[in-house]
Parts: sequence; C-alpha cells; structure tokens
Amino acid sequence: MASAQVIKRAKYKTTVKDPGTAGVLKMAWDRFIFTPNHPNSASNLDVEFRFIKGHKNTKEGSNKPPWLNLTNDQGGSYIFEFESYPDLHTCRDFVGKSIGRSGETPTAASGKTDASLPDEQISTAELELRIKLLRENSELQKLHKQLVIGGILTEAEFWATRKKLLDRESSRKSKQRVGFKSAMISDIKPATDGRTNKVTFSLTPEVILQIFAEKPAVHAAFLKYVPNKMTEKDFWTKYFKAEYLHSTRNAVAAAAEAAEDEELAIFLRNDDILAKEARQKIRRVDPTVNMEADQGDDYMHLPDHGLFRDGGKDIIESQYELYRRTLAHDLNRHAAVVLEGRTVEVELEDTRTVAEALAKLKRVESANEDSDGTANQGILERIARITEIEDLQASHGPPLAPLCIKDPRDYFDSQQVIAVKAPAAEGKKCNLSSREAYGSLRDSISQTKQMGLLNPVVKTKDALQVFNALSHDISRTKYDVGKNPQDSVLDKLPSTTKEQLLHHWTSIQELLRHFWSSYPITSSYLYAKVNRLKDAMSQIYPQLEVCSLLIS
Amino acid sequence: MKFEIEDVTVYFPYDNIYPEQYSYMVELKRALDARGHCLLEMPTGTGKTIALLSLITSYVLSKPQSPLKLVYCTRTVHEMEKTLAELKKLHDYQVKHLGPAARILAVGLSSRKNLCVNPRVLSAENRDSVDAGCRKLTASWVRALAERNPGVPTCEFFEDYERAGSGAVLPPGVYTLQDLRAFGKQKGWCPYYLARHMVQLANVIVYSYQYLLDPKVAGIISKEMQRECVVVFDEAHNIDNVCIEALSVCVRRQTLEGATRNLHRMEQEIDRFKATDESRLRAEYQRLVEGLALRGDLRVNDTWLANPALPDDILKEAVPGNIRRADFFLRVLRRFVQYLKGRLETENVEKESPVAFVASVTNQAGIDQKTLKFCYDRLHSLMMTLEITDTDEFLHIQTICDFATLVGTYARGFSIIIEPFDERMPDVQDPVLQLSCHDASLAIKPVFDRFQTVVITSGTLSPIDLYPRLLNFNPVVSRSFTMSLTRDCICPMVLTRGSDQLPVSTKFDMRSDLGVVRNYGRLLLEMVSVVPDGIVCFFVSYSYMDEIVNSWNESGILKEIMQHKLVFIETQDVVETTLALDNYRRACDCGRGAVFFSVARGKVAEGIDFDRHYGRLVIMFGIPFQYTLSKILLARLEYLRDTFQIKEGDFLTFDALRQAAQCVGRVIRSKADYGMMIFADKRYSRHDKRSKLPGWILSHLRDAHLNLSTDMAVYIAREFLRKMAQPYDKAGSGGKKTLLSQEDIEKMGDSSLNDMLY
Repeated sequence: MASAQVIKRAKYKTTVKDPGTAGVLKMAWDRFIFTPNHPNSASNLDVEFRFIKGHKNTKEGSNKPPWLNLTNDQGGSYIFEFESYPDLHTCRDFVGKSIGRSGETPTAASGKTDASLPDEQISTAELELRIKLLRENSELQKLHKQLVIGGILTEAEFWATRKKLLDRESSRKSKQRVGFKSAMISDIKPATDGRTNKVTFSLTPEVILQIFAEKPAVHAAFLKYVPNKMTEKDFWTKYFKAEYLHSTRNAVAAAAEAAEDEELAIFLRNDDILAKEARQKIRRVDPTVNMEADQGDDYMHLPDHGLFRDGGKDIIESQYELYRRTLAHDLNRHAAVVLEGRTVEVELEDTRTVAEALAKLKRVESANEDSDGTANQGILERIARITEIEDLQASHGPPLAPLCIKDPRDYFDSQQVIAVKAPAAEGKKCNLSSREAYGSLRDSISQTKQMGLLNPVVKTKDALQVFNALSHDISRTKYDVGKNPQDSVLDKLPSTTKEQLLHHWTSIQELLRHFWSSYPITSSYLYAKVNRLKDAMSQIYPQLEVCSLLIS
Repeated sequence: MKFEIEDVTVYFPYDNIYPEQYSYMVELKRALDARGHCLLEMPTGTGKTIALLSLITSYVLSKPQSPLKLVYCTRTVHEMEKTLAELKKLHDYQVKHLGPAARILAVGLSSRKNLCVNPRVLSAENRDSVDAGCRKLTASWVRALAERNPGVPTCEFFEDYERAGSGAVLPPGVYTLQDLRAFGKQKGWCPYYLARHMVQLANVIVYSYQYLLDPKVAGIISKEMQRECVVVFDEAHNIDNVCIEALSVCVRRQTLEGATRNLHRMEQEIDRFKATDESRLRAEYQRLVEGLALRGDLRVNDTWLANPALPDDILKEAVPGNIRRADFFLRVLRRFVQYLKGRLETENVEKESPVAFVASVTNQAGIDQKTLKFCYDRLHSLMMTLEITDTDEFLHIQTICDFATLVGTYARGFSIIIEPFDERMPDVQDPVLQLSCHDASLAIKPVFDRFQTVVITSGTLSPIDLYPRLLNFNPVVSRSFTMSLTRDCICPMVLTRGSDQLPVSTKFDMRSDLGVVRNYGRLLLEMVSVVPDGIVCFFVSYSYMDEIVNSWNESGILKEIMQHKLVFIETQDVVETTLALDNYRRACDCGRGAVFFSVARGKVAEGIDFDRHYGRLVIMFGIPFQYTLSKILLARLEYLRDTFQIKEGDFLTFDALRQAAQCVGRVIRSKADYGMMIFADKRYSRHDKRSKLPGWILSHLRDAHLNLSTDMAVYIAREFLRKMAQPYDKAGSGGKKTLLSQEDIEKMGDSSLNDMLY
C-alpha cells in the first residue's frame, strides 16, 4: 500500500473527561502504536487494527477539538486528540482503510494462494472489489470457498463468468461524484504575514483542478512548461502574479509586464482556447437564444452606422482589450464549468496527473461532440415544446420515467401478497346480495360486448415491457420454490438440510455452467478443467444421498 | 379548434383559446377587412403571435380570390425562429384539417452569415467577411473568369443552384433557417439565394425589421413585393428607435482614415484599368449618361447594400454630369473626406441642420447637393465596374457615401452633431460627426404607403396614442387589451427601501452610494434564498452593472449569492452572452437555479424570454433613463417638442418605462405561468412614473405593494410562491371565463364576449 504509515502528534485520553497524555501516534498498516512523550507514562499503546471495530470523530466546525475515537471489540475505546483537523482527517482515513483491510485479509489471502494461472495479473483495485463482493454476498463467498479454494476452478475462471457483477460494481462506485464548488477560485485570498510584502497562496489539488478547468490556457501552459521549462512552484508563482495584476485592474501595467515576460503574458492574455471552444459551442446553442445570429443579420449596425453616442448606449473602452479581463467574464466561465460538472476520476494528489487526466477527458469530450449528430434534432424538438402554450391544450401527460424494478423478486412477491390479500379482504366486507353482484357482472359483460375491448387497460407495449422486466429473472426458480409455502417441498425439510440443498444446487449449477462452457475441448488446459469439474460434480452426488438419508 | 369570426373560419392549433386572443383576432380581422393599418397592444404571455398567425393564414385560406402575403417582421433572429416554430405547429394543424389545399410556403430570411453552407466562406470571422467571401466566389465577373480558367474557385452550391435554374424551388412547407440550410445541403443548392428567390413566391415571409425599414437592405430584398401584403411588426415598442437608427450615420477619425485608404486603392484600380481595359470605364460612363437605373440590370448575386436613402427619390433622376467619370468622382470624394476631416477637428460641440451643412459643403468643398445625393449609387456603380469583391474592406468609403447621400436627400428631420469627445469620458479625444435622424416616420413611411395593412403590435405600446404621432400614420384600429387572469399569476411590487429602511434609487446622486449598492445586494441575496429556479436582474447600464457587481464581489455578497444559485452575466460580447444564456437555461432546467444579470436596453432585454422556470422573478434595479445629457437625445427631444408637441420629460419617462416594462414583461408565457416583478427604485412609487407602465401590469399592482422594504418584499414573495404552488381551475372560476373551449365560442356571440372582457 502506498502510504504504509502515518505519524502524528496526538494526546491519548482514556475517557472524554481525561485531560490526556501527549505523545506520538504512529499508524502502520496492521496496528497503531502510541508512545507518550513522557517515557514513564503508563499509557503506552500497541493495538492491532483487527481488534478495532469502529471509529468516530468530531466534526470540523463543531466546537469540539479534533478527537478520534476508536472502539475495540471488547467495547472499550481509545480517544486521541489531534492538533488540527487535517491531522485528524489523515488518521481517520488511514484507520478506515486499515480496518477494512484487516477484515478482508483472510479471504484475500486465501484468494491469492489459488491464483495460479500464470497470465493473471489483476490490479489491487479489482482485487479489492472482488473481496468486497465476496464479503457482501455470503452465498457467493461460500461458492468461492468451495470451488476456488477447493481447487476446482481458478480465480480467473470463477470471476470470468461474473464480469457483469464487477462492472456494475465499479460503475456504482463512481455514481456519486463531487462537482465543483460554487465559490469562485478568485475567492482564495492570499495570506499575509503582516511584516513583509510577501503574500502566500495555498493551493489544494481541488483548486488546481478548478483553475485548469476554468482556464484552459493555464492548463495548456502547465502541460507545456512543467516540469521541462520551470518548476511547478515557479509556474504557480507566475500565475498568481498575473492574477494579482488582473486584480489591480490596471490594463496598462498588465500590458507592460506581459511585454517583458513571455510566460506571464500567457496568463494575462485572453484565452484563445476558450474563444475557440466558444465558437464551437455557439453552433449547438438553442436557436431561440442565439444572439450571435442576430448580429450576423443586423445590417442596421454596420460599423459607423446608426447612432454612435446615443443616450441609450453605453460607452465602451477598447484600449488594451487584449489584457482586460472582466469579472463578468470570470463569473460566466466559472458558472459554466460548475454546470458542466465534469470531474476527473483520479486521486487528487499530483498536479501533473490531474492536468493530464483533464486533458484526456477533454479529448474524449470533443470526440463525442463531433460524432453527435442527433443534437440538432433534440434542439428542434425542444423548441417545438417551448413554443407551445401549455394551458391552451390538454396536457400531454406528465413525462414518465421508465419502469425500473430494482429487485424483481421483491416486487413480484409484494404484488402477489397484495393480490392474495385483496380478494380476501373484500370478501369479508362485501355484503352485496348475489343478485346485485350478478347484475353488475352482467352489465359489465354486456358493456364490453357492445364496446369491445377497444382500449385495453394497459397499452400492449407497456405491458410487454413490464412482462419482460418481470420474467427476466423468472428462471431463478429456486426462490419461488423456496418462498411459496403451499407447494414447496423444501419447507418441510429441516432448515439446515434445506440450506445445504440450496447450496449444492447453486454449486452444481455453477459447475455445470463451467463444464458446458469448456466445450469443445481444444486444449489440454480445458481437458484438465473438465476433468476437475467432473470429479467435483461426482463428489456432490454422494453428499446429496447423505442428505436424503438424514431426512428419511 | 375551429371557429368562425364573421365570414372567416379560423383554424387555431390548440384545444382552447384565451378570450383576449379571440378579441385580438376580431380586431385584426376588422383591420384586414378595412385594408388599413392597425395598432394592437396585448400583454405578453397571452399568445399574440399564434393568434395573429392563425387569423391571417385562416383569412387567406377562406378568401382564395384575394391572395394576401404575410410579411412578419421580428426584431431578432431568435424571435424569427420562435415565430417559425409556432407557424410550423399551425401549418401542421391546418394541413391536417384542410388537406393539401392549406399548404403554404413560409420562409425565414437572414443574412449569408446565418444561411451559408459553404464551409470555406463560413469559416470567416464576422458577417462582413462572410458577405465578401461569398461575393468573391459568386460575383458575375468571377464566374465568367472561372469559365475560362478552371483554377478560379467558385461556390459549388451557387453553381448548382444556378444550373437548376427555375427548377430550384422550395416545396411548400415552413422553413426555419436550420431547415433551409439542411435543404440546401441536401440538394446542393445555395440556401441564401434560394431563400431570396423564394421570398417572391412565399405566402409567409419572416425576417427582421431592417429588411423593410432600412433602405440599405430593403432596397434589395423587399422592393418587388406587391401591395397585397400584410406587414406585421411584432414587439414593435421600439420601432421608432429602429427607424431612427436606420437613417443615422456617424463618421469618426477611423472612418475617414479608412476612406482615404479606400480611395487610394480605387485610384490604383482605375489606373490599372486605364492601362489594360479602358473600354470598361467608358462603358460605365456611357451607361450613366443614358441614365440607366443602376440596379435594374444587375444580377442577383452582384447586389450589395442598396442606397441608404429611400430609393424612389433617386431612381427617377440621372447621375449628374460632374461625377460620371470615375476619376472625377474620386476627386469629389477626396474633397469631401478632406472637408469632413476639417470639420472633425473642432474643440466645441457643433450642431447644424442638413441645409446649413450642405451649404457649407458647397462653399468650402465645391460639392453641390445633387452630387452629394448621388454619391452612394455612383460609388456602387464604380465598385462594380472595378470588379471589387472584398467589399468588407470598403466599408469606410461606403459610410462616407451613405452620409453624403442622406445629407443630400433630406432637408428636415435630421441634424448634424459634431462632438470632440464623449461627455462621460472628457479626457478621451474621440471626435464624432453624427448625422442623426429624429423623425421615425421617414423610414417607415414607404412601408405604410406601399402595403395594404401594417400591423404594429407589442406587449407594451402604452400610451397607445403616442405611436401614431411618432410614426405619422392613421390606424383604422387602435386597441389595448387587458389580460384576464385565472389567478393573480403576476405579482408586481415597488421596492422603495432597503433592509435598513433607507431609500434605494439609481438617481444620479444616489447610485454609487455604498448603502444603496448594499441594499440592492441584500435584496437579491434574500430573494435567491426564497425564489426557486431562475431569477433575472436588469440594471440600467453596463457600466452600472459592472460597478455594482464588482462592489458586491468585494463585499462578499456575490459569494453568498453564489451559494444559492449560479450567476451569469450579459456582457458586450455577443458570443459570450449567448453561451451564458444557454448555460443559464441549462442551470434552470437541471433544477440548480441561476441568476442572470442583464442590462435594460441591452440585447437580452430586447428579445429573450424568461418564461416559466427560466424566470420566476425579475428585479429591475432602477429606472432605465437614457443618458439625458447626450447631444443626440437633446436634439431629438427638441425636434419632438417642435413637431409633435411632446414634452421632453414625458418622452423620457415614456421611453424609460417602456424599457422597464419590456424587461419585466418577459416572465410570463401563458396563464399557467407565474412570476414576480420587483421595481427597485423609490421613484417608481410616484404616480407620474408608475402610470406610464402598461395597464396589465398596473392592474395587478396593488396599493399595498407600492412602498415596500426588502423584508416586506421577501414576505410577499414567500406568500405568492406558496399560493402559486396550489392547484387551480384552469378554465377560470366565477363569472369570468379565462379559457374558452370550442363550445364556449360557439355559444356566445361577439357582443357577449366583449362584455365579458371589458
């Protein structure tokens, strides 16, 4: 693991009230050690993370000092008070990782021992994902244990059939992305030490990312100059010098400085890349707001035509236009970037990687845009929708989201319960005479006869969709068999036997799947695999027989 | 729905109709029957455009014996797109009900910049270079050259269009600019020339004002329109300003320098021609002697901007003798430029009438009025003869000739103002010679004369009796409609005091007061935390907006605002503003909500709708008065007072308030929509200012909302939004129906409808 240990100054407290012992907290990947400053203090600690069950910490911004509370499996706790919140956060993250890891270790280790296929090289991230999946799903874990650790299948073979699971898992992980902050980056105020004329800016990777996203010229310059031509520090020094010049709103001074320093000029000049992007974007803008088209059509305002110094018009300064950047421009750019909300999916650590990831993302985006031919159609539809006067017309019906049943089993079961319950409940309350009931039934039948079933209750298309969604997983009869009490044989069995049976069922299914997928046997590797599978299956049969003996 | 208005069956593409739309149609039909002009004010958000389009197209459909053409003028291209989208819907409906008989051809027309599909031409930066780029490929002499020499590039789209000849027509349908481009690409025909050709045949033409009002453009596009046209000016509250601008020219130092360069180059060209091809120059001279109309024999692809004055005045006379020869004409121009240079070097502001100016030109430069008048056409002819295609390089000399022609043509309604610097920036020397038109009726007169019905309509035409005076015409129908509302879906408020109870205003002595700036900031901050979705703020000018936003940025108010909503700003850069608007809409669409800072009299205020969730609140910071010390404005006010007996103060207030009303009026799209308007200036509470607002805003401005402070306004906003979130009966409850179905209309005659409305 990358950062194998963390060392921070902290105070150890046995209880909340305890003033605490000052010392050094050292966290390694499997344990943490607390050494008090005072050598003869009794509170020396050396605890392994696998005994730690949970951790809590005080929130930044609350009045409490930065405390980290680690609870062990005996219910006791270790409280550490840190000097600052950043310290706390580093330690907390580290503890979080370590606890997670120590829980995984056994499975991970066993998994690794069997990863025998020579060409298998998996990243740690993927390994972690697999471990996580196994931990979340006990059934899978059991299967994994039996087949992989039992040596019937290799790790790769086992996961090869579950690629989808892995993919979905990773996509879910990236679902919640953090966007940019609404606050402007120009809001980072420099810190002064009060004595000298020096100012200090503190940059975090997030701020850098935001600067790169909002100012493509800076981004391009960074990729070009760092680290070949100047160091990263020099680069940012220059950048902030330029920013300072902007903030003085002295276009003349900016122009003068830019004339002297070529690199500085990049930051001071208007952003060419932005201008180019703008030209591209303007082509796909909604025509009902496109004012650029107006300008193109406006022969009334030829240069030098119309009223120049009219009372209704503003005065425009055109001097030093190149070095004038307005707040308005910054605001618009910032809001556009926030709205786009694109983020790069790398750990925000190294500026260089951030810059490169962003560049890659942009390339992908521009490629997407080029191939996007349907955009115009979408715009036209939108205009048609917007131009409609909504209340002069019956509504088109609210735009419906497509039916998406997360877990068809739950849905199906709950529907069934409702369906079963409903008639029963009605039966109790209903005190219609049979005559009336018959009458209404006859009415409705004759009505149907007259009108015919012209408009079906549900549209066929929708019905088909629901049907497909529901029947998608219907082949997994195991659960239906297991859940419906009336006609399940399994329920009559003792629960342990039932579980055992179900387990055998899944494993034999898995084995069969691998078995058939190995055909045709074209290599010795496959031959060996098939043999292994055959043996494993033949072993299950006697076990089943044992089961049946036990029941009878 | 389908219903009868007297003898016309109206096809209306919706299931219901607002009563005011119905009465609007009735009035419009009267004007059409009377073949006269009309002036109609109807609040925004009541579906003016669709009512108008429905009635006129239906009118044409039910009277096939008298084919009428509809010329629909919008102020901007995006309004054009919206109108065409509505027309598309209407057309689909009519075709569905009437079959192919209802098919019409409707085209939108714009400049080359917006219609060109040739990637080589389109890559040019601005409009003028696109125009020039097109001419370089399509001018007749270039094409003649290309026939002999295949190495000369031409435009394949134009060539294909020419080759198709009379077969190149658009099939019936409604064509937006995008559709035209797509059609052109598919057929390989030039959409621009195709559209210009189809203008003669189309039933409905949608284009911007200038194609009728600005003689420079109108001379080419609209000259062959027959009398049987209905001309509609939509959103016409600013039409007087458009007319005035169309006939105004200004000359600056850069112009004169550029013109000198142009003259130099033309001289070189003439020398070159003299050496190689003198017969051409002689032919031109001969043509001018014979007094041939200049544009008559020109091919469509050779024309460029036409005479800036009204063409009819000029075409009847022949070009005077002293400028028939090319080098003589250049000498005259050079003397004129020299004279103007001398006039620009002045220390004081000078104001002159055209007559005095022409007299002084005659005395000092020896150019008489008639020569001046023909400058533009003579230049035009010369540039054709010299085969100049890069017309974008020659804009300066064109400006000078524009100026000369206008000054030589009009003796009244204009003045010439020479200012050494702008009073707002006295230390920057930038002398300007401005020919400014004061009389809006001059530019629009030929339109009224030529076409049978001209409809002037907008959401804000108050006071409605002023417009006929400004434009000098007699409407047969002049009517202002109020809005019947199902619920109080608009909530205007006048905010006079800030959160500290001190008055707020953009009055000159108060506007940069920090307290006022802070109070405005607090107001916006409170509102962004209360109002969902989009908020639009209008400031009185760019400079004031810059100042106030910078000040908010420094005091941290802006940061707090940004915690609630994203901020977008209109800038003077059109591309940036467009992108900002597009992003603003997306921010509103995705639910994040946003604030848009804009400027009254700016491009956004002119024509962008902030309906539905795009604008739940509009704040008008201050009253958008014009800069009253402007010499041009003063000259115009003087003219208005002398000719129309309109008082200066009245006109200024009228002008400011129509801008304010225009800004806030853009929040409502339909009766189902809702929005608030805050007029944040203490002066709005005064009766003389307030009463100039259009009636439909005034009728919702309650007395209790006339003198609010920030906290009260926030409370009212909360209550209003809560009320608007409740379900309601769309058809209107009680005695008043605000939504009519087909049966409703069939049941009641016109009389009862009118009773209901008024």
